[in-house]
Amino acid sequence: MAPKKKEEPKPAAPAAPKPPEPEPPKVRFPSVSDFKDAFQLFDRTPTSEMKITYAQCGDLIRALGQNPTNAEIMHVLGKPKPEDMQTKMLDFDQFLPIHQHICRAKDRGTFEDFVEGLRVFDKEGNGTVMGAELRHVLATLGEKMREDEVEQLMQNQEDANGCINYEAFVKYLLSS
Amino acid sequence: MGLLVVSISEYNCSNWIFFVSAIKAAVLIQRWYRQYVARTEMRRRYTWHIFQSIEYSGEQAQIKLYNFLGYLMDNFTPSSNERNLISHIFRENEVCRDAEWERYFSYENIEVPDIYSGPHLTFPLTVEQAFGLVEAFRNKKQQLHSRYVLQLLLETWKLLRMLPNISRISTCHSKEITICGDLHGQLEDLLLIFYKNGMPSLENPYVFNGDFVDRGRDSIEILLILFSFLILYPGDVHLNRGNHEDHIVNLRYGFTKEVLTKYKLHGKRILKLLQKIFSWLPLATVIDQKVLVLHGGISDTTDLSILTRLDRHTYISALRPPKKRHMSSATASIDSDMDDDIWSANRMSQRRASLTYPKPIGTKECFHNRSLQDFSERIRANIEALEMCKRQVHAHAQAQDQAQAQAQTNSPISSSDVDSVSLSCESIRSYTAKDEWRQILDLLWSDPMTQDGCIPNEVRGGGCYWGPDITEDFLLRHNLQLIIRSHECKQDGYEFCHNRKVLTLFSASNYYDVGSNRGAYVKMGPDLVPLVFQYQASNMTRELTVRQRLRSALKVLREQLFAHKSDLMSAFKKFDSDNTGFVPLNDWASAVESVMHLDLPWRMLRCQLVTCKTTSDGMIDYYEWFSELAIKGHKDTDHIDQSLLETLYRHRSTLETIFRMVDTDNSGFITIEDFRQTWKLLSVYLKMEITDEAISDIAVTIDSNQDGSIDIDEFMEAFRLTDKKSRLERGRSMFMVTATDLTKLEGDPNI
Repeated sequence: MAPKKKEEPKPAAPAAPKPPEPEPPKVRFPSVSDFKDAFQLFDRTPTSEMKITYAQCGDLIRALGQNPTNAEIMHVLGKPKPEDMQTKMLDFDQFLPIHQHICRAKDRGTFEDFVEGLRVFDKEGNGTVMGAELRHVLATLGEKMREDEVEQLMQNQEDANGCINYEAFVKYLLSS
Repeated sequence: MGLLVVSISEYNCSNWIFFVSAIKAAVLIQRWYRQYVARTEMRRRYTWHIFQSIEYSGEQAQIKLYNFLGYLMDNFTPSSNERNLISHIFRENEVCRDAEWERYFSYENIEVPDIYSGPHLTFPLTVEQAFGLVEAFRNKKQQLHSRYVLQLLLETWKLLRMLPNISRISTCHSKEITICGDLHGQLEDLLLIFYKNGMPSLENPYVFNGDFVDRGRDSIEILLILFSFLILYPGDVHLNRGNHEDHIVNLRYGFTKEVLTKYKLHGKRILKLLQKIFSWLPLATVIDQKVLVLHGGISDTTDLSILTRLDRHTYISALRPPKKRHMSSATASIDSDMDDDIWSANRMSQRRASLTYPKPIGTKECFHNRSLQDFSERIRANIEALEMCKRQVHAHAQAQDQAQAQAQTNSPISSSDVDSVSLSCESIRSYTAKDEWRQILDLLWSDPMTQDGCIPNEVRGGGCYWGPDITEDFLLRHNLQLIIRSHECKQDGYEFCHNRKVLTLFSASNYYDVGSNRGAYVKMGPDLVPLVFQYQASNMTRELTVRQRLRSALKVLREQLFAHKSDLMSAFKKFDSDNTGFVPLNDWASAVESVMHLDLPWRMLRCQLVTCKTTSDGMIDYYEWFSELAIKGHKDTDHIDQSLLETLYRHRSTLETIFRMVDTDNSGFITIEDFRQTWKLLSVYLKMEITDEAISDIAVTIDSNQDGSIDIDEFMEAFRLTDKKSRLERGRSMFMVTATDLTKLEGDPNI
């Protein structure tokens, strides 16, 4: 979607004609300096060099509102070796194109996609899935989650019978 | 139902489709989960930043205030009103003989009424009594009667006087020593530690590393418990002084108020005795000659031999060096032995240097100088505005000229170099005293940093930041292997740094907010390997999520922003030269940072702080933003000028601190006349015009019963300067919420 551009500055009270304003920040894509703040929060270098490790890259991208898979992140980082993840660094200028690439990825999953996905496990077609089954799936399929991560995600979601109303579950996920 | 079973060998179309869908669903959820975790972590981080930067800027404000008052002290004539007002805080404690002290603090004539149901203490103290004290505070939330408090404090003081500056202890045999960090009046945490680790005893030695008081609600109870065990087991309980064991700091951060509120009759006496006791607290502890435990940290000049031999009790407050008896030129103070020209940068730097590291180091010089400039400029402008000051300063300069001239003719070295003055005996002693004082200041206020080197701790306003190279050097020089310190809140309650040679230990959990951090303590055996134990007190009935904590942090931030409205407005106008009422986001962020100096990620916080609609191209309507932030004043104060209200609100901590300083007898009341003087002081400090009329308006509003005295608490109340709603905001001290107010908050839906 093309960002809107304002050609004329907003009219204000005084009479004198105003010179054209500098290009204001686009609304659709937040300005680079927005990311800088976030980047700085993740910068753990001793001398604040504005660098983050490869391992932090995924977290930062996610913190900025994207939700790539681990595979996508590895791909965009150039498939680094596991030992490189903690040692190789990215500075801000290297990070930006990586982030942009992720941003441009196709649609990230709507409410319907989620519900569709979970409906797969709804054997009785009654709007619920078994908590135990979901836990098993999350820990064994796809980009496996650890047990404690699964626990954190699923806590307080199951009812007395161990079932989860998945529409509610998805709503909860998306609102976080 | 049933678990997913996949058998690849059984090629079955529908199974396969199911399998693929299942993976897709799993990946979708996993992706979102990971995003949720990352965003939560991000929020947690900047919430922490907000609380911490507000806390540190409060400390810095305190030191700045103190510096300023000290400067005034040196420049007003003895008879001036302002000087009298603040002189008592700089007055040396009268040197009394022991007998006189005991008479002054005598407790014998304090009667304990029959209805008193709290613990009774007899001396010598027994273990059962100490345990009883703990139980009384824990279960029945009772207060110890002031008679016993005074008695206990006296015994404590007698003991502390005999202790060396640096306690040297040993983990002989199989004794494990437990070390605790900051407690800050949070009794629940101390009780939790005792529960998990046992009470102090001959077999269970403890080191408490300072900052027992301020901010939390039960500072005096913590002190009483610690002192009881100290008296019982003097060889096995060790207390180190922290930067908050200081009556000047206590004025701002709540301990003074707590004691006066809990002990209405004898609070003043108790506070006076505590001043003495704090100054007698040992400065550090060394375990097995290898592990150094102290509150803040070190600097590149820290020298344990100096620390060992100085007279620690002459430093009643770490914020001011002890005044030596001066000679004829009565205004010559410790730090004025250099230049004769008051206006010179050197003179300013003496004062400023007295509270921060004086020697600029290498490339950090500009950093240091920047603050010197700033301070001297401000003071210069302030003083120039005051006619009276000018005259006095002139007279003072003349007096100093004479003294200088005299010194120079007497000195065998006749050189125009001002440094020669320091060759006289008096100055040599004073140089050493300043040196000693800096040792203590650094010890109590410093923080470690990741870069090498040593620079002034501008954030806190006292001590320095020291780097890993300084640690290496220090440990080598003193033949040590580890430094354990506290002073900084850490999310996990502890943190190693400098190659694991420095351990920060913080024992006040939920310090910034419920759920903000754990507390930790360390056990150490003869192998000197620190074993960390963490905990989190959960006295609140519900845990706050990161979201809720963020909300409360933002609330605090919004108030701070509003309190700086005028400055922000000017800053915005600079960016908005066409006066459109709009500024782009980037400019908004720059303007805010330039005014607030909190070093926060403003762009990230913008969407939380600016809820009024921005235009489609990201411009912010700042007028609308201010009206969104506005704090409503109390109905009685509507006639008071808005900008004055804003000043009051912004500087409420400073104002309250000054009030308490002025309230010499710690009664909670000050006279109208003192009130006026206070305002005069404040107006000089803040460089603003406050007319006499405006002050009278305020005074009349507050002194509702017209008896010529003003209740400090009422004053702060009336101008909404105590914010009852933000109990969650750390630094109850910042808002000075009283214990009773907290109970009213339980049902508050805004929290």
